[in-house]
Amino acid sequence: MRAAPAGAARFRNLTFLVPLLVLALAVLLNYLLQPNLFQPRVLNGNLRVMLPLMVLTAGQAVVILAGGIDLSVGAVVSLVNVLLVTLVTPDSGPAEVLLGLAVGVAVGALTGAVNGVCVAYLRLQPIVTTYATSFLFSGVALAVLPRPGGALPRGLTTFYRSAPLGVPAAAYGVALLLLVWWLLRRTRFMQHVYAVGGAAAAARASGVSVSWIRFSSYVVMGVFAAFAAAMLTLSTGSGNARLGDAMTLPSIVAVVLGGTRLAGGAGGVTGAVIGVAILTVIRNLITFANVPTWYQTLVDAVIILAALAGPGLVRRLRGSR
Amino acid sequence: MPESAFHQDNRRSTPLKRAPLISARNVAKRYGAVRALVDGNLEIHPGEVVALLGANGSGKSTLGKVITGMTRPDGGQLQFDGTTAPVTSPEHARRLGVSAVYQELSLVPDLTVAENVFLGNEPTRLGGLDRRLMQHRTAELLESFAGVFTVPVTPGTVVGNLPPSERQLVEVVKALSRQPRALILDEATASLDGRQVDRLFELMAGWRDQGLGLVFVSHRMDEIFRVADRAVVLRDGATVGQLQLRGGDDRRTAERKLVELMTGGGEAGALLLDEARPRAAVNRDAREPALRLRGFASGILAPLDLEVGAGELLGLGGLQGQGQSRLLLALFGAAPHRGSVELDGRRVRVASPRQAVRAGIAYVPGDRNRDGLLAVRPILENLQLPNWERYGTPLRVGAARKDAQMVASDLNVRLAGLDANVSTLSGGNAQKIVIGKWLLRRPRLLLLDDPTKGIDVEAKEEFYRLLARLQADGTTVLFTSSDDAELLGLCERVVVLHDGRVTAELTGPTLDKGSLVAASLGAR
Repeated sequence: MRAAPAGAARFRNLTFLVPLLVLALAVLLNYLLQPNLFQPRVLNGNLRVMLPLMVLTAGQAVVILAGGIDLSVGAVVSLVNVLLVTLVTPDSGPAEVLLGLAVGVAVGALTGAVNGVCVAYLRLQPIVTTYATSFLFSGVALAVLPRPGGALPRGLTTFYRSAPLGVPAAAYGVALLLLVWWLLRRTRFMQHVYAVGGAAAAARASGVSVSWIRFSSYVVMGVFAAFAAAMLTLSTGSGNARLGDAMTLPSIVAVVLGGTRLAGGAGGVTGAVIGVAILTVIRNLITFANVPTWYQTLVDAVIILAALAGPGLVRRLRGSR
Repeated sequence: MPESAFHQDNRRSTPLKRAPLISARNVAKRYGAVRALVDGNLEIHPGEVVALLGANGSGKSTLGKVITGMTRPDGGQLQFDGTTAPVTSPEHARRLGVSAVYQELSLVPDLTVAENVFLGNEPTRLGGLDRRLMQHRTAELLESFAGVFTVPVTPGTVVGNLPPSERQLVEVVKALSRQPRALILDEATASLDGRQVDRLFELMAGWRDQGLGLVFVSHRMDEIFRVADRAVVLRDGATVGQLQLRGGDDRRTAERKLVELMTGGGEAGALLLDEARPRAAVNRDAREPALRLRGFASGILAPLDLEVGAGELLGLGGLQGQGQSRLLLALFGAAPHRGSVELDGRRVRVASPRQAVRAGIAYVPGDRNRDGLLAVRPILENLQLPNWERYGTPLRVGAARKDAQMVASDLNVRLAGLDANVSTLSGGNAQKIVIGKWLLRRPRLLLLDDPTKGIDVEAKEEFYRLLARLQADGTTVLFTSSDDAELLGLCERVVVLHDGRVTAELTGPTLDKGSLVAASLGAR
């Protein structure tokens, strides 16, 4: 049976309130353990680490909202990363950098189109399909750059570490990401994404092309993955065909932490971005809490499980009263 | 609905002389081994209401879906304004001016009313959604049903929070927002209450006068005579005839002719709703009541004391969503409750459906597709879902299959085989599966939430006979219906709820339409 709390309508688009609370708690704990957390240098460093995953998670959120899932995103990040450092050298001018970025975005979109065709038109299972294509993209990445290396123009990486007008460059990135989401949320496309993820049959009966929306959600994912790769490349300054691989599962966990329904149809990017922040702060916490190295993964996992179970537990407690 | 919403050029003085808006000829469609439609024919002219009739599985829903682009036909021809056009998608049909009111099929529960109304047709401004226009237009469209909503409905209300009747009205509003020239209403009144139906019919008459062509699919004879000008009858996937209703034969003759067309002759008389309803002999004499509720309250339902005799069929009447469904849900342990439940003199706990099932309670939900069936699983598994514990470990599938076969043939389910997906069944046959899965358990108390909604007269008739049989075996039945005539015809006693409280207990001479309607509206 569907729980139908009165007044739910008003807070429907604010599903990220609970994650925000979790984040506040985590940040507070982090601050107690690491009093210099809010110093610009530390904050800047944290944001730089978070931004690529945030951008990637935003794309993952769109795919999941449309009722799909993408396990190939890490491989796409790696692929675009190696392309960028291959096309752009330390001596490249602005034109070459922009060309590199354009190629990266185009390749990102292409990987999304491959996934989209398989899932939306060939009707293959999203989990299995994207797991399979991740090897395809990884393989291409290894072929492009078999050994880690490459570098970006020094100016770019320095800029990414700088703080124009006293605000970290990565913070502008986060703001821009939220602005893009704010705009995207106001398009017909996103409206259809929510409808397809929520009730595909109803969307079809309303004249929405379900296949096209599913396909497009993967292409959007590919573009976001390309930008995530660009951010990551700015952060690391070099290329590695395995660089993005470890980002796939965190991107999905962050989406769910942010209050998005894994089956699709409800949630959003704002929550997903908060989800990434929660994940990163938890990592920080563990480091500064002097947890022995060999227990870190375990503690990390327990905290994430608790954060994931939190909203459900709250709902249960409220429902039983 | 403001009149300006429709294309002015559809106002024609002599509409019937013109080419039909839509004409479907020899349309055929097969789903796997099932031939849903063999020879479907239908013409819709501007300015008329056509009723589409037929028993379960006669193909009327399929014909409707072909015209609205939901389903691609295997053969036949579709013409719009005299021009042949294959309809490739609902979007395409919409551009050709065809809109449809589905049975809750086209609403996304997570979206708001306004978002649903404009889904697939969103207005944009500067590349973004024009939410203000959406809100504004939706509010305007909702005005047509002002005063008949049982809960407040605003453009910002989330559809999933609305009761079925309001969702249905949102469907109507949605279809209208597309400014159609032809409107297909598939069982659009099934979950509406009396006042809502009246309002819908007023509006339909208005749309007809503005030159729309309307197709009305319903199982309620009464409604067909109230609203339709012409009736087209399908049987076994083929159009078998039509009848002019307005200015034709008198009601009784026309009704007989329609039923004959629907059944292909034979025992036509038995299908007339008012006559052949078996009013089961109720032995609710001096015996101990089988079910006794004390201060039973849940959600909207105020504390209620109720006694129901063994073998009694107790009707729960009133407008939709006044606590009837909630009572059934809580009795089945699917919603929390206060107060006590006694079954056959013993106190029972119904804190969960599992406990309720153990206590001998069975429940048929109002939304069978969402709560009653595993759509992608075979009929066998659906029938045996509550019963597997009887077949040991490892499961004796052979025995289970035999039992399921027995139930299926007992209920006269028309199926391709026990291994076919339940989604291949038509509405009435699917409902039989929902009921059938409990029969093997021989329930003591059967809770039915609007069980005949959207099923045809023939299936209803079989269903009534089944009820009579269960009653004779001593099964106690609690029963809600959105069809007042059904409550009046079937039940010896009807408890009417309004706003969660009992406003009347009708029995014997007080059990008539007038008092039922009065009590439904809250008059004591």
